[in-house]
Amino acid sequence: MNFMIKLEKIDREQALRYMSYKGGNMTDTAAAYIEECEKLLLDVIRPVFVYRVFRIKQFYPLVLENGLVFDGNDISAHLEGCEYAAVFAVTIGAESDQLIRRLQVGDMAKSMITDALASAAAEQAADLAEEEIKKSLPGKHFTWRYSPGYGDLSLDVQPKVLKMLNAGKQAGIILHSDNMMSPMKSVTAFIGVSESEIAQKRKSCAECRLNEDCQLRRKGLHCGFQKTT
Amino acid sequence: MDFRKLLEENEFVYLDGGMGTTFLDLGIETGEIPELLNLTSPEVLEKIHGMFIDAGSMILYSNTFGANRYKLEDTGYTVDEVIGAGVANLKNAIRKSGKEAYAALDVGPLGRLMEPGGDLSFEEAYDVFAEIIRAGKDADLIVIETMTDLSEMRAALLAAKENSDKPVMCTMSFELNGRTFTGCSCSAMALSLTALGADAIGVNCSLGPAELVPIVEEISHWTHLPLVAKANAGLPDPVTGRYNVMAEDFAETAVKFADLGVKILGGCCGTSPAYIAALKELLKDRKFKAREEEVTGGAIIPTAVCSVSKTVVIDQPRIIGERINPTGKKRFKEALVNNDINYILGQAIEQVNAGADILDVNVGLPDIDEKAMMVRTVKALQGVTDLPLQLDSTIPEVLEAALRVYNGKPIVNSVNGEEESLQKILPIVKKYGACVLGLTLDKNGIPATVEERFAIAQRILDRATAIGIPKRDVFIDCLTMTASTEQAAAMVTINSVHRVKHELGLKTALGVSNISFGLPNRELITSSFLQICLANGLDLPIINPNIAVISGAVRAYKVLANIDKDSREYIAAYNTATPQAAPPPSNALEATPEGLMYAVQSGLKQDGARITEKLLETTDAMKIIDEVLIPALDKTGADFEKGTIFLPQLILSAGVAQAAFEVIKSKMPNDGEKVSKGKVVLATVKGDIHDIGKNIVKVLLENYGYDVIDLGRDVEYEAVVEAATPEDVKLVGLSALMTTTLKSMEETIKLVKERRPDIKVVVGGAVLTPEFAEKIGADFYSRDAKQTVDIARIVYSE
Repeated sequence: MNFMIKLEKIDREQALRYMSYKGGNMTDTAAAYIEECEKLLLDVIRPVFVYRVFRIKQFYPLVLENGLVFDGNDISAHLEGCEYAAVFAVTIGAESDQLIRRLQVGDMAKSMITDALASAAAEQAADLAEEEIKKSLPGKHFTWRYSPGYGDLSLDVQPKVLKMLNAGKQAGIILHSDNMMSPMKSVTAFIGVSESEIAQKRKSCAECRLNEDCQLRRKGLHCGFQKTT
Repeated sequence: MDFRKLLEENEFVYLDGGMGTTFLDLGIETGEIPELLNLTSPEVLEKIHGMFIDAGSMILYSNTFGANRYKLEDTGYTVDEVIGAGVANLKNAIRKSGKEAYAALDVGPLGRLMEPGGDLSFEEAYDVFAEIIRAGKDADLIVIETMTDLSEMRAALLAAKENSDKPVMCTMSFELNGRTFTGCSCSAMALSLTALGADAIGVNCSLGPAELVPIVEEISHWTHLPLVAKANAGLPDPVTGRYNVMAEDFAETAVKFADLGVKILGGCCGTSPAYIAALKELLKDRKFKAREEEVTGGAIIPTAVCSVSKTVVIDQPRIIGERINPTGKKRFKEALVNNDINYILGQAIEQVNAGADILDVNVGLPDIDEKAMMVRTVKALQGVTDLPLQLDSTIPEVLEAALRVYNGKPIVNSVNGEEESLQKILPIVKKYGACVLGLTLDKNGIPATVEERFAIAQRILDRATAIGIPKRDVFIDCLTMTASTEQAAAMVTINSVHRVKHELGLKTALGVSNISFGLPNRELITSSFLQICLANGLDLPIINPNIAVISGAVRAYKVLANIDKDSREYIAAYNTATPQAAPPPSNALEATPEGLMYAVQSGLKQDGARITEKLLETTDAMKIIDEVLIPALDKTGADFEKGTIFLPQLILSAGVAQAAFEVIKSKMPNDGEKVSKGKVVLATVKGDIHDIGKNIVKVLLENYGYDVIDLGRDVEYEAVVEAATPEDVKLVGLSALMTTTLKSMEETIKLVKERRPDIKVVVGGAVLTPEFAEKIGADFYSRDAKQTVDIARIVYSE
């Protein structure tokens, strides 16, 4: 069983960033396409998330109550001071992948636009999942979310994360052999949960695994400091 | 075991509950792969099975859910060992209990993504499942459960049917919206698994009993098979991981399954033996009441075909699109010879947009491997459209190969009254549970009278039902003759349709386009004939839906026959007030080079094609390409580089140019080669399935006039080398998204250069840098699609 999220509209600004839009004139056709693709996408997405809250047993490396170990210093540094880690996986569903693939045949522009809109939708879904999780834990304090791939938390932890959430059965998220998730537009993340107030660490590109390799950075853009992979 | 007998002799048949939950209850550490306990702690498994037997379970699942070759890869154990031990533990527990209970080999999903989304092919999945089935040979029956991908379920069921003679139960996991995670609907699941010969079908996992009741109800209307329900104990608590519905409440809700006519009941995640005992206790005095679908053997189930996500009920005229067929089409034949799957997919999309309900698929051409092409086409079509397919070939092996991979319930086109055809085609139709189209002809050809055609239809029906094909799955095509040469035959066809429909009670199909051959104003004759046929009982017109007047005839008939209630579909199709994607009216642009230039830059595809057609009347094709299309693309390319337009706009412009190129190519069919600027081979390297970037490059290259040989994704080194061998290929483009696949990029380049030292290689993809490109032996690094075009120009101008 999973939790459903409702997305009424897609964050245009974020989606346009993913399309490398830097302002400037947009033809009517392109604008109409974006409009149309948003409708198509909203029609097929079905955002759901699963989460579990684990007691933290140890830092450096991070060890959770289920005995799972997460190597790397950055995740420990991020959660340090918290008693619990809420771990979640969220996806907008397999049908958006199908739609993107479908559109590639007849109309590549629509496919690209939909791909960018879907990436934005996944971020929104992750934001909403985060909100819901926080609501379910009243009176607690939280860090911002931290995903595999950030800092030195390797993508190799994805099998562990999805398994401990039973995300295959519960949310339909499975992994390709290269640890990319399917559905593509899915996010996994850790949120630190604490009884007492915690100092917030700043979000920045420096925290991100992609850093110098980032496509958006190369183009002088940023993702709003969230990354889907 | 005698499965039917077990069901007949018991009011209800009880399954077991959640294995994982029981491990947890007993405080057993399962480790990463719980199936290994079969070998390391057989006594634990015997104990758990024993607890469920004591609680009243009559069919128990072996602890083999994830015991497949992928998950066991690094454990040092084989599939045979783990499954053999799992089944043996279960059988021991049953024997020791002294009760009557049966051991089911439990088969779960493989944990890998099937094509088209993933890299696991149907054929490989089949092999992996076949290995599991053979390893479980000592079980009494087979259960395939928790599937969310219909294609994977079909591979497993087919493997079970072909590698054992045991009964097979199939259950899938649905979400609240009545679909699985991969979009499979209840009706498609039920139709497809009934077709493929499952012995019982139903649901397990994902939701609690209350949420699964409506889903089971929906499934129950689409099958005559016994139903299975194995719900979770509600929802897991995110903090404790425990499920929230207690045994008594679970049982009380699960009783509702019995009301729906479910015969086989159990529990999934979170259900311990106490849940099964509670369920059995509540139902102990209840009588099972069979559903009407079951009692009638399915006779009351509507005639329907389906893809994984779309079910088309043949309760009114449904359009079968006929365009995926090379007969008489030069461009289509070329596409088949060149393996140009995208052209074929384009034909599909066009018909989908024009209102087709079902697509006929014929890829038969002498000199090509029709079987391989058919399988490839069916798989590719399933990736881009949800319309059900009609598989069209005269060769039984081609039909069977297509039926294996078709993910749903299709129509087979066709069988006829000839003995050989009946003997070869009908058993295949029966095995895969398809609908079949019977043509009213035999060894003497097409009969001239209604009586003779009716007699053949009758014969086909008798032969089909004799081997167990349900009557509702037999459709008849009474065959259309050309009115200009056999004028009297038109009424024979019409009257035959009437008799087959009303006397035999069968659905009828008819290819109508033939009727008008050789006459002027063909569309008038075709649509008039179509109207008469529809009025006489035609259910499945096989037509070109792209011709507005023909598909319109069907829509109009549905209004007049009071089928399209309140004319809703008709209004939706013709109400021009619906906003369109391309805003300016088509005639706003003049048919001048400037008009075309503007159309390209503004992304106006229809205008681009229209103006090109007009310009071709007065202007040389190469002149249009060199003086209008290329400069227009260059302008948008330059704007893109400056950042004044963004990528979707560049691709939109490219789309217009592509439409213009298509017009030019179609107007000069024998001169097609001349408009090519050169051949470029493109591939996403072995191991990598992320190909959207490569596809963008392809579109742009094609629109600049290059012939692209697109090898697809996850391409073997050797396939690239082979494609790059012909002398006229001067450029190879390779893409990779993942760092893990850069190695295969390097390897591909090495092999290509060995064979063709003179060839140029351009590489691109998210993880590449110019430095790395140089290091692995590429000649060029390209940061985007536009730059790849620039590189192609350099290479081909040298």
